[in-house]
Amino acid sequence: MFSRLLPRSATRSALQAQNQAPHFVRASPVTAQLSERIRQRRGYATPAEEKDLVIIGGGVAGYVAAIKAGQEGLKVACIEKRGVLGGTCLNVGCIPSKSLLNNSHLYHQILHDTKNRGIDVGDVKLNLANMMKAKETSVNSLTKGIEFLFKKNNVEYIKGTGAFADEHTVAVRLQDGSETSVRGKNILIATGSESTPFPGLTIDEKKVITSTGAIALEKVPKKMVVVGGGIIGLEMGSVWSRLGAEVTVVEFLGQIGGPGMDAEISKNIQKTLSKQGMKFMLNTKVVKGDDSGEDVKLEVEAAKGGKAQTLEADVVLVAIGRRPYTANLGLENIGLETDTRGRLVIDSEYRTKLPHIRVIGDCTFGPMLAHKAEEEAVAVVEFITKNYGHVNYGAIPSVMYTHPEVAWVGQNEAELKEAGVKYKVGTFPFSANSRAKTNQDTDGMVKFLADAETDRILGVHIVGPNAGEMIAEGTLALEYGASTEDVGRTSHAHPTLAEAFKEAAMATYGKAIHY
Amino acid sequence: MPALSPTMTEGNIAAWRVQEGASFSAGDVLLEIETDKATMDVEAQDDGVMVKVMQQDGSKGVKVGSRIAVIAEAGDDASTVEIPAEGGKEAGGVEAAKKDRPSPGEEMKGGIERTESSPSAAESPPSSRPEADAEAGGAADTAGAAQKKSTSSGKQGGKPQKQTYPLYPSVEHLLHLNGMTAADADSIPSSGPNGRLLKGDVLAHLGRINKEHPAQITARLQKLGHLDLSNIQLAAAPPKREVTQPPSAPTEIEIPQETELAVPISLSGVIATQKRVNDTLGIFLPLSTFIARASELANEELPLAKNRKPTADDLFNSVLGLDKVSSKVSSRGHYIPQVTGLPPATLPFRRSAAKKTDIIDLLTSSKPAAKKAAPRVVPGAVGMSAGENVFSVTAKAGEERRAAEYLERMKMALEREPGRLVL
Repeated sequence: MFSRLLPRSATRSALQAQNQAPHFVRASPVTAQLSERIRQRRGYATPAEEKDLVIIGGGVAGYVAAIKAGQEGLKVACIEKRGVLGGTCLNVGCIPSKSLLNNSHLYHQILHDTKNRGIDVGDVKLNLANMMKAKETSVNSLTKGIEFLFKKNNVEYIKGTGAFADEHTVAVRLQDGSETSVRGKNILIATGSESTPFPGLTIDEKKVITSTGAIALEKVPKKMVVVGGGIIGLEMGSVWSRLGAEVTVVEFLGQIGGPGMDAEISKNIQKTLSKQGMKFMLNTKVVKGDDSGEDVKLEVEAAKGGKAQTLEADVVLVAIGRRPYTANLGLENIGLETDTRGRLVIDSEYRTKLPHIRVIGDCTFGPMLAHKAEEEAVAVVEFITKNYGHVNYGAIPSVMYTHPEVAWVGQNEAELKEAGVKYKVGTFPFSANSRAKTNQDTDGMVKFLADAETDRILGVHIVGPNAGEMIAEGTLALEYGASTEDVGRTSHAHPTLAEAFKEAAMATYGKAIHY
Repeated sequence: MPALSPTMTEGNIAAWRVQEGASFSAGDVLLEIETDKATMDVEAQDDGVMVKVMQQDGSKGVKVGSRIAVIAEAGDDASTVEIPAEGGKEAGGVEAAKKDRPSPGEEMKGGIERTESSPSAAESPPSSRPEADAEAGGAADTAGAAQKKSTSSGKQGGKPQKQTYPLYPSVEHLLHLNGMTAADADSIPSSGPNGRLLKGDVLAHLGRINKEHPAQITARLQKLGHLDLSNIQLAAAPPKREVTQPPSAPTEIEIPQETELAVPISLSGVIATQKRVNDTLGIFLPLSTFIARASELANEELPLAKNRKPTADDLFNSVLGLDKVSSKVSSRGHYIPQVTGLPPATLPFRRSAAKKTDIIDLLTSSKPAAKKAAPRVVPGAVGMSAGENVFSVTAKAGEERRAAEYLERMKMALEREPGRLVL
């Protein structure tokens, strides 16, 4: 039993939560009925009580802030309308997509990459339903885990949709249809983002899908067009391409991976993904779409004007970005402002113009990344409790979980050029790395950008196996103001992929040994 | 004498704006300095007290880096502050400055010296002296501010700081190659996070690169470290809506089928015990105490509902693989009985059919009150009968057995041995 694993005090607090039920003994059926309702809503706020912190949104930003606030001893309530915690990331984003990416990669590898490794496999068949089930199991265990952490840290979890009634009150429409309200000394908006729809296409999550539909297709599409060659588009395109779909990525910009990805790295990964069977149409815009027939027709033309072309697909994934989600939050009731892109306006301490209302995560400024939201969640609670918090926005890594993975932190070459910074570059290919060689997985490279004079690291860009894990070292180096020499003079285990990281650093301030 | 431009070597003091003994706050103009190009105000970087003015109004040709005044921390008594000798290493005077090749920022600071009146503060390590860090015009966290205050370039250099962490490998290497020891690291102006000494700082110190460069990078990275909240373009205010729309389209809400189970329980035993306790110990225990304790007992280890979903604990256990070790067949219930006093002659047991819950009724509490049936007033519990009472609970579909078990135990606890509930 679980209780045996925890110290006694923890057991007691766990029991307390259950015993909190008011032991009403009333005779009148009306009041008894009412008390029964109250019991069922046990743990839910009653309008009278004021919380130290009310959080709207139980996604990564909201739930982390809730747990942190609970740990700091605040009376905290977290309102979530989805019915499960974890938000986009856990339910329809990062986590389920990683499950599919990992398992589809395995499938693809078994299908195409076993002979050279001395493994003869028989009949390999895809069981998509089970693959989806594996995904759901992972997601469920993680979201339930958060509920457990809420209990552990005395966070009140309100399942419903919150909207501002006034500056201190959030009206909540509970899932069972009833309504309540919570008052908070502080209120935190962490409502996240939603996929930006593409004008002219109606998203039905079957034929025209966003990332949400892309992790739940019932069968592998024959032809799939991905509108938008950013991280989400490339990841989901990879999944379905590996499972057998013919995937074409249409990107408006001249490179894939979004504007943050270093151009050289972007070209490198594009080459590898093309080898895997994905098709790319860069500098191309979608002029209009028609989803009335059985197939979806997209009319595309060169971004700078050119010959129009029609693409047909049975599934179109719209992945042109995400936008802040603040609809029906009652912002107009308290006069909070957004900018032209819908982001809630904040100051450097995440305060809106009503200083007790703060905003973090995707619905405000900064990159839309779960780990950025997490950092902000901790910082914002520290601002509330200790008046000081800090997030270093200059050292937030980005990762794309294709195969090979792409990861970077800091600035890329284009950004440094624009800022007029003199820099030097050091690279090391995985084809010269012993571990990558033995793994027969040698696509990609590590690239360092360092200040030309001081050798201080300004950016690290990796495309290659396990790039997402390796970037942690780059982030740490950046956070500590390290030079490439510092990395180059640090021992890295042999044989590991991380040796490529060290050698790229050596190549920046001197010369790599193995290349 | 602070350097107000990179080329400035000496200046004239036009006028002091803060007199000896007067206190000032950050941003106040301390004095006006004339150079060959212009007259400029020098602002205070922090709150403080003017202890002594060394170079009076009208002083001409004062060398950059020489002492022009002594200031102390805000709140210090200007008359008791000990003024350190000029040229001391810590004070960063001219001699020290030349020897250590400090970055320009330090030279600027060198002009106006800050003394520590409290010896303990002076001795504590730099890491525990945030104010001292902030003092250094070019220390990481004030680099931006320093840049703003002095329009001329090159004002932010690091301040030498005791390196309390292991030196970076590159730094150690460079020091060694250049015949320095780790102890020398403490005297090199540093520009890294928390005053850490970086390779660039050593290179600058050795004169291999532009001295201002490390601090410039730090300032730039500092800026990148914060969200860019400038130039926010506000969206046009949305047209005022008359009625606030409901947060989401009302969806059909499934109300789980609920069954009400009831059992008559006589409270006469409880009342007898209550009286006995009152008589012997002089403590009046309300009925609710008995019922609550009975309920507590009865809720323990109830059989699981048929359609029960795994709880967070179960999932956690299954993550640890403990579900296979001990198969759990019971769990704690959360039942709370509704108690209704019965007139002496009522049906002893009833089991109502599935009850329909009307949301509107619940919200408005407009459910017509049922007939009151309180034959005898029981002390401390309005509406309960001293004899038979109906205890009822609402069970969700699939939980009937669990609820029945609970009621059975309640009956047992309250009728058989009520004394044990409180003693």
